[in-house]
Amino acid sequence: MTELQTVDLPTTIPKHKKSLLSEVAARTAGKSNIEMCIQCGTCGGSCPSAADMDHTPRAIFALLKAGVRDEALRSNTPWMCVSCYYCTVRCPQDIHITDVMYTLKNIAVEEKIYTDSTAPDFSKTFINMVENYGRSFEVGLAGIHNLKHFIGRLPGMTPMVIGMLTKKGMPITPPKRIKGMAQLKKILKRAKELEAV
Amino acid sequence: MTKNNEEPRIGVYVCHCGTNIAGVVDVENVATWAKEKLGTQGVVVSRDYKFMCSSLGQELIEKDIKEHNLNRIVVAACSPHLHEKTFRTATSNGGLNPFMCEMVSIREQVSWVHTDKVIATEKAKSMISGGVARIVHHEPLQPMSVPIHPATLVVGGGISGIQAALEIADAGYPVHLVEREPSIGGHMAQFDKTFPTLDCSACILTPKMVEAGNHPNINLYTWSEVEKVDGYVGNFVATIRKKARKIVEADCTGCGICQEKCPKKVIDDVFEAGLGYRKAVYTPFPQAVPNYPVIDVENCTYFEKGTCKVCEKFCPTNAIDFEQEDELISIEIGNIILATGYDLFDARKVSNYGYGRLANVFTSLEFERLTNASGPTGGEIVLRDGKTVPKSVGVIHCVGSRDKNYNEYCSSICCMQSLKFAHLVHERSGAEVYNFYIDIRTPGKGYDEFYLRLVEEGTNFIRGKVAEVSDTARNSEEEGKLIVQVEDTLVGKQRRIPVDMIVLSAALEPRADAKEVGKLFGISCSANGWLIERHPKLDPVATMTEGIYIAGCAQGPKDIPSSVAQGAAAAARVIGKIQKKEIELEPIRASVIEEKCSGCRICNNLCPFNAILFHEDRMVSEINPALCQGCGTCVAACPAGAIIGTGFSNEQVLSQIEGLLMLNIEAAATD
Repeated sequence: MTELQTVDLPTTIPKHKKSLLSEVAARTAGKSNIEMCIQCGTCGGSCPSAADMDHTPRAIFALLKAGVRDEALRSNTPWMCVSCYYCTVRCPQDIHITDVMYTLKNIAVEEKIYTDSTAPDFSKTFINMVENYGRSFEVGLAGIHNLKHFIGRLPGMTPMVIGMLTKKGMPITPPKRIKGMAQLKKILKRAKELEAV
Repeated sequence: MTKNNEEPRIGVYVCHCGTNIAGVVDVENVATWAKEKLGTQGVVVSRDYKFMCSSLGQELIEKDIKEHNLNRIVVAACSPHLHEKTFRTATSNGGLNPFMCEMVSIREQVSWVHTDKVIATEKAKSMISGGVARIVHHEPLQPMSVPIHPATLVVGGGISGIQAALEIADAGYPVHLVEREPSIGGHMAQFDKTFPTLDCSACILTPKMVEAGNHPNINLYTWSEVEKVDGYVGNFVATIRKKARKIVEADCTGCGICQEKCPKKVIDDVFEAGLGYRKAVYTPFPQAVPNYPVIDVENCTYFEKGTCKVCEKFCPTNAIDFEQEDELISIEIGNIILATGYDLFDARKVSNYGYGRLANVFTSLEFERLTNASGPTGGEIVLRDGKTVPKSVGVIHCVGSRDKNYNEYCSSICCMQSLKFAHLVHERSGAEVYNFYIDIRTPGKGYDEFYLRLVEEGTNFIRGKVAEVSDTARNSEEEGKLIVQVEDTLVGKQRRIPVDMIVLSAALEPRADAKEVGKLFGISCSANGWLIERHPKLDPVATMTEGIYIAGCAQGPKDIPSSVAQGAAAAARVIGKIQKKEIELEPIRASVIEEKCSGCRICNNLCPFNAILFHEDRMVSEINPALCQGCGTCVAACPAGAIIGTGFSNEQVLSQIEGLLMLNIEAAATD
């Protein structure tokens, strides 16, 4: 038998860096399965907001996998997500797509990288409503948000608002606070503590 | 000291397996350690070698046996599944009984499952210590030999089973071919064209069916099922239930007048996939083999209401027998080939694709019947109204495949089948075709060329798994159409494509009763339900039960060429066995010590191989050594300790455990 020759191999293998994908996976509650994406497009095909997104959810996963951080986090995709969970239910790879959208929003807010600052503000207004009443208040939410950011839109929306109010599709008065606001506050406080960790 | 007072002289051989083992385990260290620390246990020689299984490695063992007067061999390498035979042969060539060799799996159980080199090396040492402690108690064993019955049972008369039966029959041996349906032919008989050459399925299948039907060496049992299997390799006895056809086969000429005159029309959900009708007395298709019909008792007016008997009135040979009963036939065979095929995935489960709700969504088998010249439409591709020719057709790939919600595996045939569908639409109706795919998988001779041909034909390939099919129009263009909503992933945009017809390329699934079939024949199914082969690469048609072979889709989804190849492969294995006339069985068997047996019968039902016989007169159990596969279940279960497993005696197992825990070395050190 001949002796094996020692061969010099290049040692310039890039140092291990925590990937964007694993960062997002780690920050998502539970098992996101995000690394399992096979780029089939079930999510993008199912999404009712896909037309308004600059990337389909599938394309966002491709960007995350490729480590294209800025483009992925700047995308309006997570902000357009209405949490209908169609994508999550249909995903053949059991990826918790909606949950990942929340993670992306969290990171974007934290690092202040978003294209349209009104989107995170909308979420904040919504959360304020929930913290005050223990439930959502559509008229208040739409009113405050549009007054703050899109005052010019209001006149155009009037007919629709009047229609909804007269047909009792939407109450005009603020809702009653839920029972047990104190408990809700405790829950939200604890949730914030957990998130801080 | 061993039983026969012979001083153990053990050789230990540690294999590198290239880098498979040596990359994780410090093999040289292990070999030196074994010589030093296990010397007191009888280890005389200990070596490491790059590839123990190579002829040089084997010669090393043979030479050492002679030079060092070894009487026991321990090989630390891969799993015994792979190379036990190799090293037993080497041991035997060295002049020892082959069962004086023990394998320690330091690849599958050590290097492949550990990353920490230090821990892996220590584990390898303790496993070798276990092997050495065990082999001290090995005794020479003699293999048993049983005769092989020359007949073979082939279960399933699809293309794979037909091929297997013909190969064996042509070699001059008898075959019993059992088919559940009234005719052989299987799924292939339902198709019109076969990919990628587009030759007519019936044209290539019918000659084989006829040959199988007429072959002097083939006994055809259609409309029959195997009910019971007893015995063991070489000597099985199978009980076949020949369901009552209500037709006297000897008298029937297959003229077809009964079918013509029968007043009862029934939806044919087997052969026509629910897309056409048959009569209550029927042969599934014109080229059926055998060509005598079956009376469908559940739907026959006579059996429902007590009157009718139109078929009997018109039969020119008085071949109708309403009183005919099921018949149980017992046959002796030496080997069994299971070619039980597949079931089509129930596309209703993917509710967002609308099958069963939206009329013009078809399954792949329905579409096969639509395109078939002898199908319900005479080969016309039309919508479910039976007349409208679609102007656009969407073919959806991977329905129920590659999806954790249904089946995780790829059904392997759907891409090619979907391409074939696209071609047939182009050819027959000139309609626009959209193929919706995740990946196009065309590995096979002439397959990718076929894909390119379809690209050239102008098929619209859209890369994206369809999200939903609906009939809710959003604009005038979508009105009255089926709308396919999908992300075109190459564009990154959601699209809505209106079409007239949808074809779902549904997954291939294991037969609904695959688990029961597995149990009946004493073999197992994978988690998905496919019958498991002995080795996925090197032994794809044998099973872990000697004498039982598998072929075709029963083993996993596959196309016609692969099914035929497996049928032929299984036949070749069987012919080889028959020609040998007898088979050697592993002497690793359990046996009952009669004096200790209390006759409690606990072991009787536990035996997965039905190898335990109870003697009512003496009230003791006995194990048939030819049936026993040496699994050890009974040995562990016997409350009286009356059953011993050859090769797995208490002494052998307990000392192996002591060895694993290195107790043998500690004891030697304190001595």
